[in-house]
Amino acid sequence: MDQPLQSASRLPRGYRRQISDSTIQRLFIMPTLVLLILWNVFPLFYSLFLSFTRYSHSGKQPPVWIGTGNFDALLGDPSIWAAFAVTGRYALLSVSLQAVIGFGLALLLRAKFKASGLLTTLILIPMMLSPVIVGMFWRLIFNPLMGIFNYMLGYWDPTTAPVWLKDHALLSIVIVDVWMWSPFVMLLCLSGLKAIPDYIYEAAAIDRASSWRQFWRITLPQVAPLLLLAVLFRTIEALKAFDLVMGLTGGGPGNTTETVSVALYRMVFQGQARTGSASALAYVMLIVIVGVSNVYIWYLNRMKEA
Amino acid sequence: MAEIELRQVAKKFGNLWAVKPMDLTIHDGEFVALLGPSGCGKTTTLRMISGLEAVTAGRVYINGEDVTWLSASQRNIAFVFQFFALYPQMTVRQNIAFPLESQGMKRALINQRVDEVVKILRIEHLLQRKPGALSGGDKQRVALARALVRKPACFLMDEPLGALDAEFREAMRAEIKRLHLAQHATTVYVTHDQVEAMAMGDRIVVMSAAEIQQIGTPAEVYHTPTNLFVANFIGSPGMNLVPGKYADGRVHLPGGSVCTVPPAWQPALAALPSDDVILGFRPEATQVSDTGALRGTVYASDLHGSYTMLHISLERTGRINGNGGDKIVHIRTRRDVAYPLGTEIRFDLDPEMMRFFDPKSEKALSKEARG
Amino acid sequence: MATNTIARRSFAETGPRTPVVDSVRVDQVTPGARRGTAVRLILAILIAFLMLIPVIWMAMTAFKSRPDATASPPKVIFTPSLDGFIGLFTNRTQLSAGALAAELKRPDLSFWDRQALARGMRIIGPSKFVQQIQNSLIIALISTLLAVTLGLLSAYAFSRYDIPGKGDWLFFILSTRMLPPVVVTIPIFLMYRAVGLYDTHIGMILLYTVFNLSFSVWLLKGFIDEIPIEYEEAALVDGYSRLQTFRKIVLPQCVTGIAATAVFCLIFAWNEYAFALMLTSERARTAPPAIPANLGVGGIEWHVIAAGSLLFLIPVVIVTFALRRYLLRGVTFGAIRQ
Repeated sequence: MDQPLQSASRLPRGYRRQISDSTIQRLFIMPTLVLLILWNVFPLFYSLFLSFTRYSHSGKQPPVWIGTGNFDALLGDPSIWAAFAVTGRYALLSVSLQAVIGFGLALLLRAKFKASGLLTTLILIPMMLSPVIVGMFWRLIFNPLMGIFNYMLGYWDPTTAPVWLKDHALLSIVIVDVWMWSPFVMLLCLSGLKAIPDYIYEAAAIDRASSWRQFWRITLPQVAPLLLLAVLFRTIEALKAFDLVMGLTGGGPGNTTETVSVALYRMVFQGQARTGSASALAYVMLIVIVGVSNVYIWYLNRMKEA
Repeated sequence: MAEIELRQVAKKFGNLWAVKPMDLTIHDGEFVALLGPSGCGKTTTLRMISGLEAVTAGRVYINGEDVTWLSASQRNIAFVFQFFALYPQMTVRQNIAFPLESQGMKRALINQRVDEVVKILRIEHLLQRKPGALSGGDKQRVALARALVRKPACFLMDEPLGALDAEFREAMRAEIKRLHLAQHATTVYVTHDQVEAMAMGDRIVVMSAAEIQQIGTPAEVYHTPTNLFVANFIGSPGMNLVPGKYADGRVHLPGGSVCTVPPAWQPALAALPSDDVILGFRPEATQVSDTGALRGTVYASDLHGSYTMLHISLERTGRINGNGGDKIVHIRTRRDVAYPLGTEIRFDLDPEMMRFFDPKSEKALSKEARG
Repeated sequence: MATNTIARRSFAETGPRTPVVDSVRVDQVTPGARRGTAVRLILAILIAFLMLIPVIWMAMTAFKSRPDATASPPKVIFTPSLDGFIGLFTNRTQLSAGALAAELKRPDLSFWDRQALARGMRIIGPSKFVQQIQNSLIIALISTLLAVTLGLLSAYAFSRYDIPGKGDWLFFILSTRMLPPVVVTIPIFLMYRAVGLYDTHIGMILLYTVFNLSFSVWLLKGFIDEIPIEYEEAALVDGYSRLQTFRKIVLPQCVTGIAATAVFCLIFAWNEYAFALMLTSERARTAPPAIPANLGVGGIEWHVIAAGSLLFLIPVVIVTFALRRYLLRGVTFGAIRQ
């Protein structure tokens, strides 16, 4: 008799040829990892290399190794320090305001009155818009002649009204950022607030705790972790600020709102195309942000396990 | 401690009655159980006493003072919740000290009181833990400690043992009762478990469908239920309620059984508008006998070790018909006799323990006073 | 002096004026508490309105004529006009009076032609904006498709298999999301230039796919983790292959997760500015870098910019509204579940 094919008749009936688990694992994960490595890891190494060179991508010469030259130059460059200062001030101011206003909004909206779901959704909208577009139309709003910002604050005479984008440029960006992202903080705090069951507050009422005491001993400790999460996340984003700044002020007037990202952009795509120095600066920035991000991710993981 | 009085207290949610107007007086030092199935209004009643629920009508008095429109914090009561309601971010010690701190008591006195209470409930070893790290029974002990530490006028408990495992419930039951006795505390205790209510209550308020069905001591609600609901709800299993027809001093039951009605009951039965009547008897009020007046077939039997509970189908068909058309009664028999399924069986009822009910009004009939 | 003694009836004696038929505590029906709730409602509505004013203002500006848009002081009441949209979508030239008269006699004038002629101009073709919106659409849709598909597969593998170094891989994947775009742009810009991917659709699609991938893997893994593994185990016992289990059991159950992830990827790709600015110029330019830059013939045409912005924002608003329940989860990287 013929020797039948192993795969066909020796196997129990109903058994189908299956792809092995390990093949599936590889198949499902490889493309992702390959893409991520090509687009993230490789550029990072390339960037690292460039940061030790003198190079201009608009010129004809190849990169020239200069060791730590770029980094030394950066350390001694006041405009770079200024950019970090601007970024730091912006992050501090913006995130603090977002935290306070966001938390306040959450406290306001937690009572279950009828339209609170709809109101919450409406407040979400600013967060979902493209930051550069937002920056664009806030330019109009801040405009001393045509904009409604001054109008609504009561400064109807253009000659005495503050010129936001000139005299208070950084503050203007902070205002827009707070407008966009306080709802985000609010959402996180709200979810923390809603996680406190009513009967806890009933118990506190029976225990004769004043509203302040209830807030301080019960509400705040429950919400604090989420508030911290929001603050961390917004801090990372504030340090990276680019889109909104470009849309609203373009980094100006002059250098007054030049965050590190904007400085980088200018270094590479405007003027002398100092690609080498830019890579060095990019790396410094990267280390700072990755540092803060890792704190965020670690904290996020800890909260998910709790 | 305190006397609680409810006068025509009622609660509506929209157009739905949650608690129909009721009167209730709870005496100083009494342990009163509010008993009933889910949705009967017992928890709402408790919450109205506490101020966690505003009344729709009526007035609430604690120690003679009208507290109807005082908030919960102004009423000097303690409330124990089913889900413990311990403050999650505070340690056990802080949880217990919380009510005293809220009143601005001095630290030394607070510590003293906390130590006292903690000793009574035997949770000294848990003081530094957070609620999340405690078992259900321990959590409830902490909740009790927090209630106790305030020396309130009364204790209100909303199914405090409902969230605990069965093995802890009996032990905690005894503890709560002991606490009540030691503190001479007026306690109002909500539960859906009639075993609990019977075990712990000085008086039981049986509620159903937003109304009080009966108020009485455990013995009263057990032996003399005032309506069908109470008869069925109290006891495990509840009272056997068999519909029958009354004629000439006898009640004819399904399946041909005939039960002789004691003379004391006959006037009440004769006075019924029709000849329909419901006979009630508890499982232990029966005696198996070859010459028993009632007969039926064994449908199922539960061995409880010290006794056996038989499920008897009164329809004498010889077969077991499982359509629910049979009238099944429970009788308690000795543990050492076996009754295989399908056996025909005859039993007598204890005439002292017979009860009768009017099927239409669902109320219990009362004997005429003798002599 | 006539004295009218009005008996002071305190709340504690009589309670509220109408009977309480809700589930509320006594301290929530006191006059003070009622006032507090009313104040809260008013405050909330006020704040919601204030938050929306900039968006509303921009929408209004999109429908203003040029002089209205740039009026000083700003005009709240105005007659709506389509000037902004015309300027947005078309390139036009001014016509002399004679040429204008001649144009008006043509038989094949479309609605848009007529609008332009009413303003003394003739349409000579679509503006670059049309192409830019098209680019945005293509790049966003395709990159989302890729990111969600690959992300789904990887999320499944990470969730159901014990892969060596899984925790580290996931950490790595999420931290790529945290990179500042400007940092990665320089090398990618050079790479693209060298390989010929600069200013191409493929280049942008691949780039957005990669950036969305880290987010999509993380989010989808969260969703898949929630599907009880018993379903798949039952199917495997019944003889289904792993792939069939994935297709028939896991997939249908995470449809909402896929939808939420797709929405986020779409929004990210749609709104993205930094990479688009630095890695495109003519052919593949998307709308966000274009709107601030290429509009305005003689002074900033705010009504045109507003029209462009409005059109650009509307899809996002619609999608936000439709999927608002899932947004919380995505926005907080899965820290919170609805």
